[in-house]
Amino acid sequence: MSESIERLLKNPVSFLTDAGPDEDIAISSRIRLARNLAGKPFPVAADLDLRREICDEVAKAAAQSGALGCPECFQFDPEEMDAIDREILFERRLASRDFLARAGGTRLLVRDDESSSVMINEEDHLRIQTLRPGFQLDTVWKIIDRLDSELAKQLDFAFDDRLGFLTSCPTNVGTGMRASVMLHLPGLVLTGQIGPTIQGVNKLNLAVRGIYGEGTDNRGSLYQVSNQSTLGESEEQIIDRLNSVISQLIAHEKEARRTLLERDQYGLLDYVGRSYGILRHSYKLSSEEAIKSLSGLRVGVDMGLFNSVGIRKVNELFIAIGAAHLQKSAGRELSPAERDICRAALCREKLKHS
Amino acid sequence: MLCDICKKNEATIHIKEIHNGQSHTSNLCESCAAEQEKNGKLGALGFNLAEMLHNLGKISADAAHTPDSEERNESVLTCPGCGWTLSKIKHSGGRLGCPECYHTFEKIIRDALSGVQRGTVHFGKRPPSASGNSRAALEAELKERQHELEALVKREEYEQAAACRDRILQLKEELAALDGGKNE
Repeated sequence: MSESIERLLKNPVSFLTDAGPDEDIAISSRIRLARNLAGKPFPVAADLDLRREICDEVAKAAAQSGALGCPECFQFDPEEMDAIDREILFERRLASRDFLARAGGTRLLVRDDESSSVMINEEDHLRIQTLRPGFQLDTVWKIIDRLDSELAKQLDFAFDDRLGFLTSCPTNVGTGMRASVMLHLPGLVLTGQIGPTIQGVNKLNLAVRGIYGEGTDNRGSLYQVSNQSTLGESEEQIIDRLNSVISQLIAHEKEARRTLLERDQYGLLDYVGRSYGILRHSYKLSSEEAIKSLSGLRVGVDMGLFNSVGIRKVNELFIAIGAAHLQKSAGRELSPAERDICRAALCREKLKHS
Repeated sequence: MLCDICKKNEATIHIKEIHNGQSHTSNLCESCAAEQEKNGKLGALGFNLAEMLHNLGKISADAAHTPDSEERNESVLTCPGCGWTLSKIKHSGGRLGCPECYHTFEKIIRDALSGVQRGTVHFGKRPPSASGNSRAALEAELKERQHELEALVKREEYEQAAACRDRILQLKEELAALDGGKNE
């Protein structure tokens, strides 16, 4: 198990380090599908033996169908992993906290490039996920649709002609699909437009969630926009609706950055410069300050102010500064104070030649 | 009337939202409303599990005092698939025990879904094992979609109505293909 984590850590985090459309503002696109096995209690009502049986059944189906590149895919059993290794899976967005907190009878299958994964026995028997860089929900849908179909050849999914795919929580019934795009919106935050924008998007029946906090208190200006409703529209219709709203958000963000540059060029440069200064010269860096500063640095990189720092290096740092990733690279458990020192050292090192 | 969120202050702001033809009123005090607005949540009120649970709770409480036998039965129903009752669903945060629960608690789930979802009938992907490809299932869905289309047009929800119309055309094509197959 531990060998798998070491192998995983050697991977570049592909959804952050590969090129993607509109990557200056859209960090990543993700779709997840909730599926359950027909005639079996949902994980919340299944006992440990049954949950283990379900893990074996799904893993076997993945191996037989070749889904996720299995049997050569990564397989993690959270029960057998220590807390830091489990946290690595969360920081790389491969598993939810809820999944990792479950008491036994869970398994995680991950394609070797980390682009797709299946959580077995999270809230539903299967939570299939595909995560790619930039703004490309259509491509992500094609990938996950194929993956789902491969699994459906081997597994009998709980489905009702009227209600669609049956899920443990009725808020996911129907398509079982949650599609989301993570956006970096510092322009809208700095111009004070983020509040009204979120309200507008909410009125269109889409959810906006701050990645590091809600609303205007958001650190890092990172927001995730996703569909709320899963029943009554096809997957393509949901994605079309999201695409049109997200395209507009990207256009608004670009406009806000232009406005900032015109109205207060030195204010913007100062914001970017201070962010860079903190990352480049600090010796103690909390996670909160690092995220805030990386967000500022990202704006500067988008503006072409840095020659040797690319957007993907900044993206990668967002993951590398996570508590579990820092402890893994230090090779031991670190106290919160030690983590701040290691985090600062990592940022100084990565930005040394910029 | 007390605020729906803090349950302490007097509610002075009343927001009525209409979603899928269902109206929902939120009663908030000034400070909770300001907090919601600040966090951009005001437009999303009434769109969460809490409301669904509220509905479940209400039905269950009403049923205990109602002479109506059907409603009273809902409160003591036990799912044959997993043995779960309404109270178990409430305690699990609105999660159901098994696929069969959707049939056992059909009426309650249908009511709750209308406040959470944009539609009442599934569009989109179907697994290869779905029985919906049989003639009877196609005809039943066609009938249901035609009723839904009328309701959507009446509520002036044209975007949804267009999607519904597309599905009706698709169903008609599938039925025609079945007929074609029979004639060969």
